[in-house]
Amino acid sequence: MNQTLNLSSGPHVRDAWSTSFIMKMVLLALMPATVIGILTFGLPALWVVLTSVLTAVGTELIYDKLTHRPDTWKDGSAAVTGLMLALTLSAQAPLYTPFLGAVFAILVVKCCFGGLGKNFLNPALAARCFLLISFPNSMTAYGIDGVVSATPVAELAAGQAVNITSMFLGSANGVIGGSILGLLIGGLALWSFDVIHGQIWISVLGSFTLFMGLFGPKGFDPGFLLAHLCGGGVVLGAFFMATDYVTSPMSRLGQTFYGVLIGVLGALFRIKGQAADSFSYSIIVANLFTPLIDTYIVDKPYAFRKRMIQRRLEGKQPFRIPKPVVVLTGIALLAGLALSGVYSMTKENIDAQKAAAAAKAYQAVLPEAASFEACTEQLAALNGEVYGEGYGRVYIRDALIGKDEAGNVVGYAVSVSSAEGYDGNVTLSVGVSPEGKINAISFTELHETPGKGMLCGEPAFMDQFAGQEAKALILGTDIDAIVGVTITSKAVTNAVNAGVDFINTQLRGK
Amino acid sequence: MRLTFRGGVHPKGRKELSREVPLRRFDPGPGEMVFPLAQHIGKPAKAIVKKNDPVLVGQKLAEADGFVSACVISSCSGKVKAVEKRRTIAGTMSECVVVDNDGAYTPIDGLGQKQELSHLTNQDILNRVKEAGIIGLGGAGFPTHVKLAPKEPDRIKYLIANGAECEPYISCNDQLMRSHAAGIVEGLELALRLFPHAECVVAIEDNKPEAIAAMQKAVAGKARMRVLPLHTKYPQGGERSLIRVIAGVDFPVSMLPADVGCIVLNVGTAYAIGRAVAWNEPLFSHVLTVTGEAVQTPANFIARDGTSLAQLLEACGGVKAGVTPKKALSGGPMMGVAVASLELPIQKNTNALTLLAEDPVERAERQQTVCLHCGRCSTICPNGLVPALMADAIAMQNWGRYENKLHGLECIACGSCTYICPAKRPLTQMFKQTKAEIMARKRAAQAGGKA
Repeated sequence: MNQTLNLSSGPHVRDAWSTSFIMKMVLLALMPATVIGILTFGLPALWVVLTSVLTAVGTELIYDKLTHRPDTWKDGSAAVTGLMLALTLSAQAPLYTPFLGAVFAILVVKCCFGGLGKNFLNPALAARCFLLISFPNSMTAYGIDGVVSATPVAELAAGQAVNITSMFLGSANGVIGGSILGLLIGGLALWSFDVIHGQIWISVLGSFTLFMGLFGPKGFDPGFLLAHLCGGGVVLGAFFMATDYVTSPMSRLGQTFYGVLIGVLGALFRIKGQAADSFSYSIIVANLFTPLIDTYIVDKPYAFRKRMIQRRLEGKQPFRIPKPVVVLTGIALLAGLALSGVYSMTKENIDAQKAAAAAKAYQAVLPEAASFEACTEQLAALNGEVYGEGYGRVYIRDALIGKDEAGNVVGYAVSVSSAEGYDGNVTLSVGVSPEGKINAISFTELHETPGKGMLCGEPAFMDQFAGQEAKALILGTDIDAIVGVTITSKAVTNAVNAGVDFINTQLRGK
Repeated sequence: MRLTFRGGVHPKGRKELSREVPLRRFDPGPGEMVFPLAQHIGKPAKAIVKKNDPVLVGQKLAEADGFVSACVISSCSGKVKAVEKRRTIAGTMSECVVVDNDGAYTPIDGLGQKQELSHLTNQDILNRVKEAGIIGLGGAGFPTHVKLAPKEPDRIKYLIANGAECEPYISCNDQLMRSHAAGIVEGLELALRLFPHAECVVAIEDNKPEAIAAMQKAVAGKARMRVLPLHTKYPQGGERSLIRVIAGVDFPVSMLPADVGCIVLNVGTAYAIGRAVAWNEPLFSHVLTVTGEAVQTPANFIARDGTSLAQLLEACGGVKAGVTPKKALSGGPMMGVAVASLELPIQKNTNALTLLAEDPVERAERQQTVCLHCGRCSTICPNGLVPALMADAIAMQNWGRYENKLHGLECIACGSCTYICPAKRPLTQMFKQTKAEIMARKRAAQAGGKA
């Protein structure tokens, strides 16, 4: 025994888990969703994933070399960021988006703030938000096999039914990591191995569902709530993004608070805001609160906690609801009341404005009419369902017969909505003369991409309909589509056709 | 539901190396035996022998100096060689009595004779425990006669015999319970006399079924005694963990176990009480495990105080052929202290020599990264602290937050957070140091206030 013995302060054994081991576990847990995503969306998805992951790792490698820092690119955290970013992108995204996003995530959000453990935002989500702001068009082009259409959450926001099964399995339209099945397999596995904290994802999903049920448009309708949970990255966010160690609070109480914040904000953005990408923002906002939460909300040691239940059993103290629960419930209620208050206060105004806009639109399409007669019977027969076949998801909202002062029919007007706009609903009125000619069309709801979809609201496009025979118009033959605005052009034409068909079959000649 | 506390970790037990090896006595041959005067918490003992004094086995070498102190007993016969500073297991130079062991082990009169117990008063029992130099053999070495004399003995509800032995590698208490169950129970019955309203609970981790069976047999039919098998988890054998499980109480470090109606005695201490009071045999030998991947044949001993670690390793056949020991620990790998040399005397509370062939700390230092804020440390902290935030507060030198908001002084230095940390940060070590610094600052402030 002459050799030197190591000296160190105890303990002298260590758990097998290291930083890179945890990163590998997260990568593995993301695999089911990634594989399903690639199988669903095909090769483009694979390219997006590869670009994002390789760029993220490469950026960190170059940063390490240039700044002579330890080789942190090997620990796997950059790969996790890259993969998470890819899963939040559309397979249709041009490859420069994952590239720029990964560079932004690693270089700006992570490395510039001191590398692993120091970033104050989740790098993948921050990059996604960066891309959403920078490239709104290509970032929201979701589709399978090149056919771009609205995402389920956009449809939900438009008040339509969606196919939850396809959302669950991942075959629905959306981001690459959209398979709830795959995400749940990975997320629950991580949870069961204690890699992620249950209090975060449970409080995120729980508060989201509760808030959506309490203040959402459909109450606790299971199908509606499930559809909202399955869509728009709620599951990806709850299991993989919100649980990101660095940007989530450390104590159990703080984690619960943080989770509730994400859930409530997410639901609030869904109910009141633009549909699809709100969940990313709610997590980013909660990230910003993490240092504050860690400063003020810290678990007390067991010896300092009041064990309410035990005291109640011993009869020493009446049972009290834990303070955080009271506070959080209070905040949730106040926010909800404020929202519903604002809503009901403004509702009349909004309704009046809507009616005025509609009246204006009817006037525009039937200028000769002095009064309008509602066709409630024919409308009621539709049951509010999708109208006809071949028009896509088109709904007849209103139907009127226009009469002049003498009571003679001078034309027919319908209000038609198509849910297949590029960014939600397109609603328009179409007027048809008794002779069977289209008078004009007028938009009451059109919020498409400026410079693209919005061009459909310009006379150059709209005026093509005026004077056309009241029959099914064909895009490209009867109507020239706007170059590069196929989706909106198609939605508008379909809506007009549906309206004309309704007038022809239900109103004219009766 | 298995009985356990909240949090905790599961380091590899490695008890299979030595757990089936029965206890055997080890008497070193003639040579030096070293007895430090400060083996316990409290004031060091005062030497009552001087150079060239003849001593016998069981003879008192040093007297307890004040109430919180403990006597030191000779484990061999021979002549006092010196009373001087020697290096001890704690790593410092401290005053020791060095005896030149003649190897004959001649006992003092009446050593090991059965004593009449029926007439003993409580004070007699406490005096004998004090005279025998008994301290807590589980770890810290708190003088047992102090522990057994709380302010209100009538309010003690549980006398907990700690046979959990949650520290990895160590198996000597397992063997002690298997082979000396009756002796342990004898000591516990004596201790129980001091606490008329207490129930004695023998707590053993469920990875020691033989010990549980032996103890159950020994307590069968005894009033106020039971055996409680516990979930195997570190630090199950910590005083606070045991009280959490048995009495259902969490209490801050400002309180003693007696304040919540509990007295915790290691089974080895209980055995020593029995030997001292009933057999007139003061504490000069105790059980100890020599183990580790670098030991030829790991073994459990009843070893004499003052024996050197090197002699014990020799008794196990020395270092395993072809293996280079990387680290030697007095104690186990969680709470043990790394020693630079094996030429150090064992003390009353030395429960193991662990010789590691691999040093996991070397590897951990290579893997060290910054804190991920993963929160694993707070999940496993048996006291419910948030170590990562405590470390942040230390980095910012925010002592107020450390002490008041994060309750950092509640850390019992069990090492679980350092063990579990995936970033391999030396958390426990930081907390030990910070605690010492804060305490020193407080003492300085107090002294300044007085002056």
